[in-house]
Formats: sequence, C-alpha cells, structure tokens
Amino acid sequence: MDKAATSTRPWGSFRAKFILVVGSAVLIDLLISGGLALWNVQRLSRNAAEEVGRGLEQASQDYIQTYANSTAAQVSLLLGQVNNDVSVLAGVLQEQIDNPKRQANIGSAMSGISPGSVQLSFNPEGQWAQNAPGAPSVVSAWGYLLDENHSPRPDVQAEIQASAVLDLVAPSLLQNGSSKLQMYFIGPKERPIFRTAPYTDQAQTFDRLYPGHNKADFWDFFFPGLYESWQGWEADVRAQPGPDDITQTAPYTDAITGKQIVSFFHPLWSADRKNVAGTAGADITLDQLAEIVVNVKVAESGFGFLAMSDGNVIAINKAGEKTIGLRSASDAKGSGVTGLERSLKNSTQEAITELANNPDQGIRHLLLTDGDERVPFMVIMKKLPPINLWEPGRVRKDAMSLGIVVPEREIYASLFAAQAKISDATNRIVIYQILAILFSLMVVTLAVLAVSKRITGGVSALAGAARRIQAKDYSVRVPVTSRDEVGQASDAFNRMAEQISFHTENLEQIVEERTAQIEDAKEEISILNAQLERENRRLGTELAVAERIQMMVLPRPSELASSKDLEIAAYMSAAEEVGGDYYDVLEAEGRFKIGIGDVTGHGLESGVLMLMVQSVARALHEAGTTDPVKFLVDLNSAVFKNIVRTRIDKHLTLAFLDYDGKDVIISGQHEEIIVVRANGALERIETMDLGLPIGLESDISPFVGTRRIMLAKGDLIVLHTDGVTEAENAEGKLFGIDRLCEEAVRLRDQSADRIVAGIIDRLMEYIGPHKVHDDITLLVLRHR
Amino acid sequence: MEIRDENYRIWAENGCVYFDGILRLAGPEAYAPIYSMAVAILHEKHERVIFDLTSLEFLNSSGINLLAKLTIEARKQSMAHVVIKGTSQYPWQAKSLPNLKKLYPQLDLQIA
Repeated sequence: MDKAATSTRPWGSFRAKFILVVGSAVLIDLLISGGLALWNVQRLSRNAAEEVGRGLEQASQDYIQTYANSTAAQVSLLLGQVNNDVSVLAGVLQEQIDNPKRQANIGSAMSGISPGSVQLSFNPEGQWAQNAPGAPSVVSAWGYLLDENHSPRPDVQAEIQASAVLDLVAPSLLQNGSSKLQMYFIGPKERPIFRTAPYTDQAQTFDRLYPGHNKADFWDFFFPGLYESWQGWEADVRAQPGPDDITQTAPYTDAITGKQIVSFFHPLWSADRKNVAGTAGADITLDQLAEIVVNVKVAESGFGFLAMSDGNVIAINKAGEKTIGLRSASDAKGSGVTGLERSLKNSTQEAITELANNPDQGIRHLLLTDGDERVPFMVIMKKLPPINLWEPGRVRKDAMSLGIVVPEREIYASLFAAQAKISDATNRIVIYQILAILFSLMVVTLAVLAVSKRITGGVSALAGAARRIQAKDYSVRVPVTSRDEVGQASDAFNRMAEQISFHTENLEQIVEERTAQIEDAKEEISILNAQLERENRRLGTELAVAERIQMMVLPRPSELASSKDLEIAAYMSAAEEVGGDYYDVLEAEGRFKIGIGDVTGHGLESGVLMLMVQSVARALHEAGTTDPVKFLVDLNSAVFKNIVRTRIDKHLTLAFLDYDGKDVIISGQHEEIIVVRANGALERIETMDLGLPIGLESDISPFVGTRRIMLAKGDLIVLHTDGVTEAENAEGKLFGIDRLCEEAVRLRDQSADRIVAGIIDRLMEYIGPHKVHDDITLLVLRHR
Repeated sequence: MEIRDENYRIWAENGCVYFDGILRLAGPEAYAPIYSMAVAILHEKHERVIFDLTSLEFLNSSGINLLAKLTIEARKQSMAHVVIKGTSQYPWQAKSLPNLKKLYPQLDLQIA
C-alpha cells in the first residue's frame, strides 16, 4: 500500500469512510440506547424517590400525629388523675358537710385523737393562728377569723375541727395516684381557713410572698372572682362553663413552695346546695405537667409545648422556648396569684405569632428563623379536653393545646437519606452506564479499525496500485488475499495490469505489426482493386464485344432493300446494355426468309447465342432447306447441342417468315404478327402454336407448325419484340399490342421507314422519361 | 424460406411456391437463388408441388427461362403432380405459360 498517497487524504479514503459510517452507526446506536437507559434510570429514580418520599412523609406525619395524640393523652391522663384525687378529697369533705352531726362527731374525735390538728396557736408577729408542726396538715386561721383572745371564733374552730378529716384522706391521696405538690381545704368565704397537707410553714410563707393577705379576705385576695363564679353556678347552672365542677388556675408561683404550679379546685356546697361551702384543692407543679411535654422527643431536636387558649405557653423545654422565640414576661396584672406570661403571641417568630392567632388543629409547615437561616418545621397542634379556667375576676371555659414541633429536615431525615441513597444509586448507575458506553465505544472503535483494515485493505491496495499505474509503473501487482468481490477485482486488476504492461511495453512492436498488417491489407486491396478493374475492363470488353457481335449480325441496309416486292424497314434499340433481340433478312436464290427473335437475358452469351442462331439459320437457308418446319427443327437441334456444350443458360423465341413472291409462311413461336391489309383491315396472327422457344428441348418437331397468309400489294406486316408491347409509361402501364396495331393501321399508307419512325415516335412519346427495360425491335414489311 | 426485394416476394410453404410482384432480374445468375429454392421444393418429395403465379404481375424473359427449366426439372423427376397456377389477367402469363405444358404434358396448368 502506498502510505504517502493515503496519508495525503486521510479522511477521503475508503477506510476512513467505512470507519466513519460504521462508527457513526454504532455511536448513534449507543447514544440512543445509552440515553434511553439513562433517561429511564433517572425517571425510575425520580419516581422511586417520589414514592418513597410520599410514603415516608405520610409515615412521618402519621407518627407525629400519633405522637401528639399520645402526648395529649398523657397530659389528659395526668390532669384526670389530679381531678380524680381532688374529687375524692372533695367527696369526703362534702360528705362531712352533708352530715353535720357526723361532721361534729368526727371533728371532736379528731380533736381527741390528734389535738395537733385542731389546736391553733396565735402568732403575734403574723397576727394569725396556726397549728404546730408535727400534724399531717397545717391549718391557718387568718387574723380576721380570731376573737379578741386571738383564738379562732367558735364557728371557725368548728370548721377547723370538721376539716381535720383531711388528715385522714389527704396523706394517702398524696402518696398514691399522681404526684401532687399538696392537697388542701379552704373554708367558705365567712371562715376561709386554709388547711393543707402536708405540713408547711404556710402562713409564714404567705406573709413573705403575699404581704397584706392577712388583712383581706382570702378568696378575694388570692382568687378574686372565683368564689362569686361558683356562687353564680349555684344560682344558675347555665353559668357553669363546663359540666365539671373542677376549676383550674393558670400557672402561678406557689406561695408555699415557690414553684410554678397549677391549682385544681373542687368547690364544696352547703348541705342545702344553696351556697358555696369552701373548696377542696390540689396543686401540681408545672414541672409535672411540663415533664410530659418536655419529655417529648421527636427525631433529634423535636419538642412539645402546652399552651393555653390565649397562647400562653405553660410547658416547654428551654431549647423549644428558644426555637419558637418565646419571651417570658412577669405578671403585670398585680392581683391574685402571680402568673406566668409566655405567650405565643409575643413570639419573635412571625410564623408562631400567626399560629397563635389561628390555633387550628392539624399539621402545618412553618419556616422559623434560626440566625440568618430560615428552617422549615412541621408543627402539630392538638387541643386537649376543655376545662374551667379561673383567671382573675372570672371563670371561663378554656382548652389547652398541645403542640409538637419538629424540624422537617429531621423528620424527613430518613426520607432525605432514602432519596440520597436513590440518588447515589442513580448516579452510580449513570456513571456505570456511561463507562459501559465508553467501553463499548472503545471496543467497537478498535474492532471497526481492525475489521476496516481487513475489509478495506484490498480496496486500498487496489487504489494504491491504480495510482502507481497512473504514474506509469506497470510492474505493480495486487496480492489476492480473499475470494470476495475485492479478490475478484484484484484478480481482474492484475490481469488488466499485465495486459497494460504487455501492451505498453510492446506498443512499438504492435504498431509495427499492425502497420505491416495494414500494409498487407492495403496491398491486398490494391490487388483486388486491380482485379476489379480488370474484371470491369473484361466486362466492358465483353459488352463491347457483344454489342459488336449484335451489330455485326444484324442485316445491312442494303440487304433490307434487296427485295423487289418487299419494302423492309427495321428499328432496334438496345436497353441499357446489349439486348437479346434478333432480326434478320436472309436471301438466297430469290427466296426471302425474315426472322425475328428474342434471346433471354443480355450480354456476351446472348450475343454468342444470337450469332450461333444467325449462323445456323444462314447455313440452313444457304443449304436450301425450304421446309419451314424442318428448318426450325434443325436449327433448334443444332443450337440446343451448342447450348449444352457452351453451357449457355439461355433460350430464345424465334419466328420466321418465308416469302416466295406470293404468300408468306409463318413458323416458330414469337410475339403476335400484325398484318394490315391495304384496305386497313387488321389481322393478328398468334404464333404460340407454331413452335417452342429455341434451346429448351432437343427436338421441337412435335410443336412446330406453319401458317400461310397471302400478301397483296399495299399489305404490310409488322413484327416486334416484347420490348415494344411491354414498354411502360410513368404509371407503369404497358404500351400494349392494341396501340401498336392502331399505329400500324393509321400509318399503313406510308412507306415502311415512315411507319417504323411513326410507331417509334409514338412509343417514345408514351414511355416518356420512364426507364426502358428491354430491347425494342420493330420490323415492318410492305408489299410494294 | 423467402426471397424478397422492393418489387417482389417469393416464398415457399407446404410444398407451394408463391410468386408475388414484378420480377425483372438481369439474368440466370440473378435468378439462381429462386431457382435453387424452387428445385429444393421439387426435391422435397411432396405429393404435390404448386407454383402459384397468380400474383406475379410481370416476369421477364430470363424469368420465363427459369420456369421452363423448372418444368424440365419436374419432368426429369417424373413428378406425379406439379401444378402451375396462373391468371389471364397478366398478358405475359397467357403468352408464356402454355409452353410449359408443351414441355411437360403431365403438368397441371391452371389458368384462371
């Protein structure tokens, strides 16, 4: 292969095109299939991620919902237990009130058993009375409940004794059930003693935290409006917000323990149910409630909160408080127990403020600000069962809301993880796919390169070889390595190259050979030309000879005029060449024999045959053969034999007229003989039965006959050959015997010469420029 | 077999030789192919050989010589049945064909 040549057009070569075509096909195929695979994988991944996302989101939401429900249930349970405990205590106390006698008995019994529970000692510093420590409960009687001896008024003392029953119930209630801070009894408004289990320095603590309380009515000081609300319920059941008697406070700072607490009151009624007879109560620390909520732990940093319906959050952990942007504010109202103001409405987070104003249940998605970042959160609000809530001045119905707040990124962590895994898997598949495509491309490219070299090698070799031949290197040959078309082409190429080589190298020799051949041919042609010329000359000579013979044989004008009685005129015109017509006038010893005949064909042979006929006729006439039949039979016999010898392939019609001075005897077969009498009468004598053409048969004696006609003065006989009657005009119509007869009759009074000339004129006029096919011979005999 | 030219056509078919047109050939040499064809038909040993001249408008003297030679050939072969069909429509036929009958009396000359 010619490397230099192929390298000049690297992209135009057959191999390059082959590689391009196959490579493109494979590339397109790979790209399409690969692209489809990638697209499908992407779609699959997207669908899977969506599906997983939907599933996980649903699961997560369900989980949180369930979690919220369960937390709410826990809160409700706690509150329910507290309610139960308070109800039990209230039930016992109410039982006492409803049975005053038993109440008095139990009171006095308690005084006997446990005097510490009912004997109060005055505290001059505080101006109140309180039992000594050691009793199960502490009972305080305020200054305005003491007489001048600083002892409780008798009705107050009776209330103190009656309430001592609390010592029997409260300790066990405190020990069992839900964890409570304290349980207590507060007397009616007329004698609001305050008995609390377990024992604490409660009056002292009151003095410290709530100065001035010993001067005002307990109810009005600590819980303004609460007692009156209950009284209102008694008067009108419809005034009661909820079906339950239990009334709850908002969280406030406990005077005794100093903790944030929530109080649960169960009002007691007078035996006649017409008035309020005090209340049973229990406190739980907010921590207890908050514990449930604070212990909420969803995902990493999810938290719960408990909010009053006014948006005040009563339970939340510190991190949660920060997350939803709560700000604590001190109780600004200045009356009653000191509350906690930590409302959602005052949140620094706009989304939370909005939530507080629209505290519907259900799941919502919020964006909370964390520094500069806005973090998506999922919030679930769950309303707890409604309660009676005291707030300074009144009791109203309220329902706390439980909120669960979870950063979405955490709740969706598994979703994100799943999606990330799917994405990873997808990316991995994509990378593998791309690698596979690249690998396939590489393999195919190598294969195409390898195969193309094999496939196109032959063609390239042919092309290179062709170029070398173009460069006149005829020695080049292509190796035939395969049996396919390329192999066949190579084979053919080699043969052609060989021929070209042979022809090129031997061109000079070939030219010489060809020149020699041409010269030989030329010589041959000139020889042939010479032969042809000789032949022509010979033919020309032959024709000249034949013409000469014919002219020599025909009678001289003097011979025509040799008869005293007959005026004879003749016309003869050969067609293109020497004709075969013959006529004669023989005279011997006064006997005239006039002959007319027509030899078939033209040329030398016709001339020779005519000469023979004339010679034999002359000889027979001279020999005195007067019998026309014998004359004709002998003549035929002699001529026939000569025809056989000379192999002249011809014959002739021949008729004779014998004139003895009186009659004319006609013999032999020829054209019709026309006789025009002096009076114009026309006779046509058929000669068909008077003989047979001369030269066909050796003996014609059976066929020869004679016809005798009288010839008077002025009669004329017209003899002709078929050249006259069969002459054609331009339309191919024959002159015919009738026209001939007509002319003969018309011209009958004129001399024989004139008659001949007249007929010929008419004939020539008839023929016009048309071709004359045959010899024309006309002979007219006229009796002088 | 067929021999044809601008003016004439001669062809053989089932032992019948048809002559058509105007025959005005120069001499025996020119007529030789026609003669050969007709003689070949004669030699084919047909039960009957017909020369149909009814469409031959003109035949010159060399042609008539050909017919005479064919007749003599038929006579030499002692052909049982040789028919020459002619027509009086063309003058040359009435003039020349009877001679053939004279040459070979067994010839069936039919001039219509």
